[in-house]
Amino acid sequence: MMRAERTPRLPRDNARVLGGIVRGKRTTLRVPTEADLAGFARWAADLRVRGALTRAYWDEPAMLATWKERLAKQSEDKSSTLWAIDGEGALAGSCRVEYAIEPGHFGNDGIGITHFTIEPDRWGQGLGSDAALALHRWIFDIVHARFAHTALAAHNAGALRVAERLGYETYARGTAVHYGDGRYVDGLQLRMDLTTWDERWGATEREYPVPLGEELEA
Amino acid sequence: MLGPRIEGERGIALITPTLDHLKRNVEWMTRPETTRFWGVRAMDLRPEHAEKRFGENATDPTLVNWTIAFEGEQVGMTGLFHIDWITRDAESGIFIGRHDLYGKGIASEAIRLRTRFAWDELRLRRIHNWIAMRNRGSRRANEKAGYRQMGRFPRSWYRSGQWHDEWLGEILNPDWV
Repeated sequence: MMRAERTPRLPRDNARVLGGIVRGKRTTLRVPTEADLAGFARWAADLRVRGALTRAYWDEPAMLATWKERLAKQSEDKSSTLWAIDGEGALAGSCRVEYAIEPGHFGNDGIGITHFTIEPDRWGQGLGSDAALALHRWIFDIVHARFAHTALAAHNAGALRVAERLGYETYARGTAVHYGDGRYVDGLQLRMDLTTWDERWGATEREYPVPLGEELEA
Repeated sequence: MLGPRIEGERGIALITPTLDHLKRNVEWMTRPETTRFWGVRAMDLRPEHAEKRFGENATDPTLVNWTIAFEGEQVGMTGLFHIDWITRDAESGIFIGRHDLYGKGIASEAIRLRTRFAWDELRLRRIHNWIAMRNRGSRRANEKAGYRQMGRFPRSWYRSGQWHDEWLGEILNPDWV
């Protein structure tokens, strides 16, 4: 089957485009602004980030003017959502998701993570885990997606740890999909279902206590 | 891009697509007999859309399309798309519109020709694809050409009151250096 036939990106009315605030314990996903673009540009050009080989940065290195154009275009893209990630008071990363928007097309009730970046100078501090948990609260508790999916290079141990802790499972392993640092690396495709979210995180990670709003009536 | 003519065996050939071919393919794609392994078959069926798409296909450097011919007649289409010229990886697809010709090995031969072109002319390194798990004929045709399973995507699409899984396959250029 021609998969491309099933995954066009078309506009729809309920645009999500730039993401609103989603709070983690140590990080906050928030609306990206032009002030964040220098960080986005720096990460895209950082070989530590690019060494992840896939899904690690928003777009290719470019002049700041081009990043402004990208942000403007993103603000009109009705099939994806972009956030900046703040960590303990400073810009710490960014992430973006996309959704198929035609009924019956692949992933029309799933959400794909197209990139997830954490400032490389702050790796190893747990910011990625915290922000990823907040992002998946949005995916499952707010959007109520049936599943989330992403792709990672097999050598990206840090991202794989975060994904496995969240509840992702590898559903495909492609042979020598990526090339970097003088070698081929396998590509993993991962998926996490709503049922997994509910089982693993439902008791502790809801945004508000259930039933919603009950504490306001007390 | 539109692919060149490639002669195969048993009257099967890949030929350069025309706008009329595309319009006929689109008409075949509306039929339940040829799309039983797809999800919802809603698409833009206007003739002007076919013309626009044909123009885009002809000039897009990330894909190569062919019409499949059997004994001189159009019977379907195949192609390589999402070609990444840096990693030299592509996705493949095939569609036989003449369901009365299923089981005659047309897809197997078309995949063999397409794969040989990918290695010998495009110098691609890897090709991957997604096929409905229940579409045993298509999976067999790909496996005959050397594709192997690299994964399985559960509950991918819904048809006839059931969820259906997809088979993820890949093939590597054996002569890649």
